[in-house]
Amino acid sequence: MTVAAPVTESSQAASAVEARLALERRHRIRSGSELAVGMAIVVAAQLALSSVGGFPESWAVPLADWIDDARRWIINNQTTHWSFSYIFNPISDSIDWGLRTVERFLLWLPWYAVAAAAGMVAAAALGMRAGLLGAVGVLYFGVVELWEESLQTVALMTVAVGISVAIGVPVGIASARYNRLQRSLRPLLDAMQTLPAFVYLIPVVLLFGVARVPAIIATVIYALPPVIRLTDLGIRNVPAATVEAAEMFGATPRQTLRKVQFPLALPSVLTGINQTIMMALSIVVIAALIGAGGLGQVVLESLRRLQVGRALEAGLAIVVLAMLMDRVTHGAAGLGSRRRRLRLMPDSLERLGFVRAIEGALESADRVLCRLGAALARPLRHAPGLAPLVRRPRWVLGLAALVAAAAAGAAGGQPAFPSAITFSFAPAIDWLVDWVRDNLYEIGGTWFGTGWFSDSITIYAVTPLRELFSAELAWPVVVLAVALAGWRLGGARLAAFCTSCVAGLGLLGMWTLSMDTFAQVIVAVVMAILCGIPLGVLAARSDRFERLLKPVLDFMQTIPSFVLLVPVIIMFNVGRVPGIIASVLYALPAATRLTNLGIRQVAGEATEASRAFGATRGQTLRKVQLPLAAPSIMAGINQTVMLVLAMVVIAGLVGGGGLGLETVKGLRRTDSVGSGFVAGLAIVLLAMLLDRLLQAWTRRFTPVDGDP
Amino acid sequence: MWPDGPQSTASSPRCVKGASCSHYIGPVATAEQTPLECHEVTKVFGVNLATARALLANGCDRQQVLDETGCLVAVQGATFSVQRGETFVVMGLSGSGKSTLIRCLSRLIEPTSGTVKIDGAPISELDDQELRELRRKRLSMVFQHFGLFPHRKVIDNVAFGLEIQGASKADRYERALEVLSVVGLGGWADHFPQQLSGGMQQRVGLARALCVEPEILFFDEPFSALDPLIRRDMQDELLSLQARMQRTLVFITHDFHEALKLGDRIAIMKDGEFVQVGTPEQIVSAPADDYVREFTEDAPKTKVITVGSVMRPLDGAAPSGEPVGVDAVLEDVLARLLADPAALGVVDDRGDVVGVVDRERVADLLGESSRAGAARADRAAEQP
Repeated sequence: MTVAAPVTESSQAASAVEARLALERRHRIRSGSELAVGMAIVVAAQLALSSVGGFPESWAVPLADWIDDARRWIINNQTTHWSFSYIFNPISDSIDWGLRTVERFLLWLPWYAVAAAAGMVAAAALGMRAGLLGAVGVLYFGVVELWEESLQTVALMTVAVGISVAIGVPVGIASARYNRLQRSLRPLLDAMQTLPAFVYLIPVVLLFGVARVPAIIATVIYALPPVIRLTDLGIRNVPAATVEAAEMFGATPRQTLRKVQFPLALPSVLTGINQTIMMALSIVVIAALIGAGGLGQVVLESLRRLQVGRALEAGLAIVVLAMLMDRVTHGAAGLGSRRRRLRLMPDSLERLGFVRAIEGALESADRVLCRLGAALARPLRHAPGLAPLVRRPRWVLGLAALVAAAAAGAAGGQPAFPSAITFSFAPAIDWLVDWVRDNLYEIGGTWFGTGWFSDSITIYAVTPLRELFSAELAWPVVVLAVALAGWRLGGARLAAFCTSCVAGLGLLGMWTLSMDTFAQVIVAVVMAILCGIPLGVLAARSDRFERLLKPVLDFMQTIPSFVLLVPVIIMFNVGRVPGIIASVLYALPAATRLTNLGIRQVAGEATEASRAFGATRGQTLRKVQLPLAAPSIMAGINQTVMLVLAMVVIAGLVGGGGLGLETVKGLRRTDSVGSGFVAGLAIVLLAMLLDRLLQAWTRRFTPVDGDP
Repeated sequence: MWPDGPQSTASSPRCVKGASCSHYIGPVATAEQTPLECHEVTKVFGVNLATARALLANGCDRQQVLDETGCLVAVQGATFSVQRGETFVVMGLSGSGKSTLIRCLSRLIEPTSGTVKIDGAPISELDDQELRELRRKRLSMVFQHFGLFPHRKVIDNVAFGLEIQGASKADRYERALEVLSVVGLGGWADHFPQQLSGGMQQRVGLARALCVEPEILFFDEPFSALDPLIRRDMQDELLSLQARMQRTLVFITHDFHEALKLGDRIAIMKDGEFVQVGTPEQIVSAPADDYVREFTEDAPKTKVITVGSVMRPLDGAAPSGEPVGVDAVLEDVLARLLADPAALGVVDDRGDVVGVVDRERVADLLGESSRAGAARADRAAEQP
């Protein structure tokens, strides 16, 4: 516009501004009034239907009875029907045989051989310090008298992960080659990863009964997706130019795969295997519900008897196992940094003379051992296939030591883990639990304490919400509200989907229990978001805080969800609130991480531009970073909800009530498999409902792409 | 180790390990047969191919086809042949279809229509196994971004072709070491590609292509990712290798200078079609249209145009002083002409004096191009 604007022009401009403001006002009123109208409809419906209450029980489909019938039929025909004698039983028998063999072998090895082997593997993957830590970690199993249980779990993991890899890698390769297969696999894999783990347990229990084999099968189903996905991804990410070069040299598809694509995809495949192992470990305890045995069984039994100390011992054993396997596979995938030098202590202690002396001595011992190994390996030099060993004297030495140890063990009878070095800290923990109960529940006899915290959540949040959803609100009102939300966020199709999900809850006869669970989920999600997002914002704004937070979040995400229950029980005893708090702890890292990530991913230029205009840090955060990070934050909220739902069953174990408890009962007692299955289905419906709604909501925050 | 001259046609059958050898692969190549012939090769990308082909047959151009069918005509009606020992350069800017064309020659991309014949045999008729045999034994390619296998050592990269053919480890390492020393990477066999500089990586790519002793080598912009100095070294190296080994080369580039330097013949490609095919001299001295002229204007003419094409007929006695050959490029005589105003005699292969070249002839030619350059600058200045 020219400098000397005529009067008319500036008044035109003013009216244009006014028109714009008016337009915006109308938009606000419109979207506000939509919400108001929706609320009004819901309230009016509630007033009109105030006497209706929960879903009529007589309408429920007797699905549970049908399943119990099926279960009875299966039990009666297990020995005669062809599908069992030719399909399920052979599968079951071969898995059982594999498991027994691995287990017998592990338990046949003398304890020191197992510890040494674990140490060697860790050392090979990560370096000497990790090797020593690995050996110590394995010794922990024996020290807390969980040797046999730990090795049972290791055997279970070995077989389950072995099967997962044996299925997952070829399927991943096929999926990378055939787009059609990938397209048809994707929704299946998505479903497998979205659904809470225990949902697989019930059909597996139906077909294979309660024992270790179904536990393995359920674990395989749960842990399979990452290895398929990452094998596929790894192969697809091999640069097209590289594959073209191989083709140009006349390589057959098989040669291209074997010599070029698979080797280049290997890091990705190993990452997939790493994730598969972690997922398998994360359901060790849940699998124990259907008889997996091992450490999970110990945790479960101890929690049931409220022996928190013992549960913590076994839980820590699972954590040790998880950490060990995570680090080792991480290292093997070439993701971690390798350290060849022998380091025992933290680097910061290297200044101390005696530390250097000790490490120096160890290093010279290592050199001597290496020379010994090299001498041992010399005769193998010309043996075909053994040549690589010659370059790894430590391996030769280690293998020789293992063989010798095993032989000694076999000759002299298997030495049990020496009872002289066992130690239990369970009594101390139990004492702590008692102390916390006596002293922190009401600190110093005042009203304040964990009891108050727990009671407030129950009295002011969980109970009123449960009452509201399950009893006070008429069921058609709930359906209507969900349908309106679906319609507003995703149109008619989503509304129809949501309506059928909610109606499904009622038709399954799970209305009251579902609303109970729903209330708990809402409380847990709100708490997780209220803690998680501010933490994420803080972490994004301060590198130092992020560095502090990262190991904590890593730890929380690595340990199996179950172990979280133990400290929560110490603090809050049993009931609904501990379940909720454990869910919060479990779900919080996702919200924090994705908030942090979202804010940090905002282009530096956008933040810089905002600062250049003189925005304060707060303004930059509010007007630039948070809006741009909104899709990521919404994804974090979505994950939070899914993780909370995944914890519902575990919460059921410590008195969470609702659908979780029903599922647990179904898994524990054969006579209530039907209702357990139905409760599981209800959890799935709830999960799908919330997932779809949140995804639709997330899409509204995603910026529109270039195409109009 | 390099046979001097064309690959011996009487070499033993090149099939090993009982691979199902077709009649295309055997020692059928004879001296008369053209190693590589393309006739009307066309490649259209898209879904609605039938319509696109019909439109092309009716003389529609690339844009019309794109508008009507959504199909992209990447290469249209490329026809050329390459002789043994010849370097055929396809020069074009990005998007002109040259990379697609070179891939059609080995069926890395399947041509939509047209025929590609290798030693007179159309490759479109080969089945998968025969095609693989062809690629294994007789073709090779050097890629723009090297296309090396990052997980293999240099020597295993170079030996890849032989490994695919099933050669024993000893044989292929022996050959690979030989080739590595030819490209000047003798001591680098046990390194990984990432540990090498860009120029060295492309030497590995070259060695890998040479290792299988192919008859035809394809180069897909092999030097465009390299620094200018390294690029010049590599070009010189390729020229000297080719002088010794006399293979059939098809070389893709977007660099007109590179095309002039390496090409025995050059095809200029624009929008999927050849606009001109000729020797460097033909193209520089007689560009087919304005598009080609744009490239030639700042071309180093003195390095391309031969004395033979600027000489005037001999009138009277031959000038004294040492004569120059008809094939000499202007650059070779420029210094002498500047130092001495006398004209130079031009002799043909037999030593007979066939013409005279003097300062005026050369000045005319060079002036013409600088005048054209000035005119262009004027035009540019007139533009607002």
